Amino acid sequence: MRRIPNERSGLKKRHTIALLLAGVVCMPSATSLGRLVTDQSGRRVDIPASPQRVVSLAPNITEIIYALGLGDRLVGDTDYCDYPPEAKLKPHVGSIVNPSLESIAALKPDLVFGTADANRRETADQLERLGIPLYGLAAHTFDDAMQSIEDVGDVLGQGAKARSIVEGLRKRAQAVEQRIQGQPRPRVLFVVWYRPLITAGSHTFLSDVIRRAGGIPLNEGLRGEWPRLSLEEVLRREPDVILFPRTESFSPALDEFTRLPGWRELRAVKEHHMYFVPETIMRPCPRLVDALEQLAGILHPVSGSPSEARK
Amino acid sequence: MSVPATRRNLLLTIVLLSVGLVVVSLAALMVGGVHLPLRQVWVGLWGAGPAGQAEVIVREIRLPRVLLAMLVGAALASSGTALQALLRNPLADPYVLGISSGAALGAIVALWVGGRVANASPLAAFAGALVTMVWVFALGRRAGRLSSYTLLLAGVVTASFLSAVIIFVLSMLSTRDVRGTAFWLMGDLSVVTDVQLHLLLPVIALGIGGLYFFAKDLNVLLLGEQESAHLGVNVTRVETLVYILASLLTGVAVSVSGAIGYLGLLVPHLGRMVVGSDHRMLIPTAALGGAIMLVVSDLLARTLVAPGELPVGAVTAVAGAPVFIYLLRRTTG
Repeated sequence: MRRIPNERSGLKKRHTIALLLAGVVCMPSATSLGRLVTDQSGRRVDIPASPQRVVSLAPNITEIIYALGLGDRLVGDTDYCDYPPEAKLKPHVGSIVNPSLESIAALKPDLVFGTADANRRETADQLERLGIPLYGLAAHTFDDAMQSIEDVGDVLGQGAKARSIVEGLRKRAQAVEQRIQGQPRPRVLFVVWYRPLITAGSHTFLSDVIRRAGGIPLNEGLRGEWPRLSLEEVLRREPDVILFPRTESFSPALDEFTRLPGWRELRAVKEHHMYFVPETIMRPCPRLVDALEQLAGILHPVSGSPSEARK
Repeated sequence: MSVPATRRNLLLTIVLLSVGLVVVSLAALMVGGVHLPLRQVWVGLWGAGPAGQAEVIVREIRLPRVLLAMLVGAALASSGTALQALLRNPLADPYVLGISSGAALGAIVALWVGGRVANASPLAAFAGALVTMVWVFALGRRAGRLSSYTLLLAGVVTASFLSAVIIFVLSMLSTRDVRGTAFWLMGDLSVVTDVQLHLLLPVIALGIGGLYFFAKDLNVLLLGEQESAHLGVNVTRVETLVYILASLLTGVAVSVSGAIGYLGLLVPHLGRMVVGSDHRMLIPTAALGGAIMLVVSDLLARTLVAPGELPVGAVTAVAGAPVFIYLLRRTTG
């Protein structure tokens, strides 16, 4: 996180406008010294020195805040924030794509955390107009995900704790990498959606995690975060393993693929090398490393024992 | 220009278009991520024995898609043709009566409630189409008989209402689900089961055959409801049955392929330019023409951004809108 010296002059003016716009609903309670920083997504944002009332706009952020032991500072999160279980009890501000600005404002937060991938830019702009700063996270690699944790820690005044958490996570990731070193790397198709087939792009933290878990993501030449991939190309690239995220809305019965034209000809389907991985593989949060370890266990079983995640 | 509907002309049209369909289908089987020579396609189609990768690509991936594109294209184009006559509106297409929105909503609700079964969404989509069909039909009746004017209005209002509900449900889904669903809504021919193909063929063939059965009545219907009644056509019966057939064709097509736009609007107009507006010529022409168009569109959708794919509905819309505007300028200018 790059820090930029305080710029208080613009702040006051903005507050006046915000007050005019928003009435008395949402005057930020930050009265201590604010600071102007560049967030992980590259936006410049005024944040209070020590935010006490925080709203999270994505499940991974909620998890990071709880992992830092700052759950009591979280005054609101989204309908999708389901971990830890306490997060479900927090007041919800709506969905990730379309959160309710009014609900956010009514919670009187002094800082909102969002992500560049899941949330919309408009949400950040509108919040800014209401005088509520939004700190944006953006994770495109495993390292970015770790940086997100450190950023949230720094912003909330728990930088040291964040770094010690990240240190522990990195050690676990390194242990995985050491264990699988030199082993043959299976080719992995990650199925984000199959009707039509959508996979993860090559420049995503998800692909990075697959690589770190000792696999080769089957997405060379695919641009964007969630690109479509033709089944024909899958057949040509012949994955050794097919992975599905285990989520509520998308958990197809794997047996079905043995009957679908095209799919049923894939060796990975015939030999049933299809596995569910925890949804946290799609969440840049501390549990990303849990997913990394589980995935490594699937791709490189310890001493040949069958993996538990197999279905 | 109008081609008289003699048996000879009809046969000639069907043969010519069928040859065209075979040619584009073979092309679609050859072209893709890997280009396969005709010989290999042939072996893939008919060859016995152990299948290599090329044969598998032909038989398992390209052939089901080509067959599905044919069936869906034929269904949408003939449904559009019939609805343009039924509603006496050149802007009518298979979606104007809200059936595709009903199907889409059915699929999305199934997803929302829990999309655990792959085959649940086509079934739910078809259920959505059926409910919408009955609902619009009930609204479209006035004083005990079907009014094409009321039917059109009922359809348009229902379509926009359902679209609003779809947007509402989409806003409740997570980002990833929205993306997956949106792609499906834009038309997708990539997933079809054997069972679906086997069911689609007789249903769509019967539907188009049924519409063809009413071809003469549709010609008369174009003159106006009162005139048709004077000419001895049982207007309510014809309108009701044509409505049911056209809606069923659309519902079946949408439930397996999402909403593929412009085809049902454009192909009937192209057909009219070639064979005129006698439905005995127009319906077979549109059915085969629709099949050709969708096979070609899907070929483009598969190959333009390979190894990725485009939604086939985006291809038909991007190609269809300019063609439609061109036709419009030509006929009015």
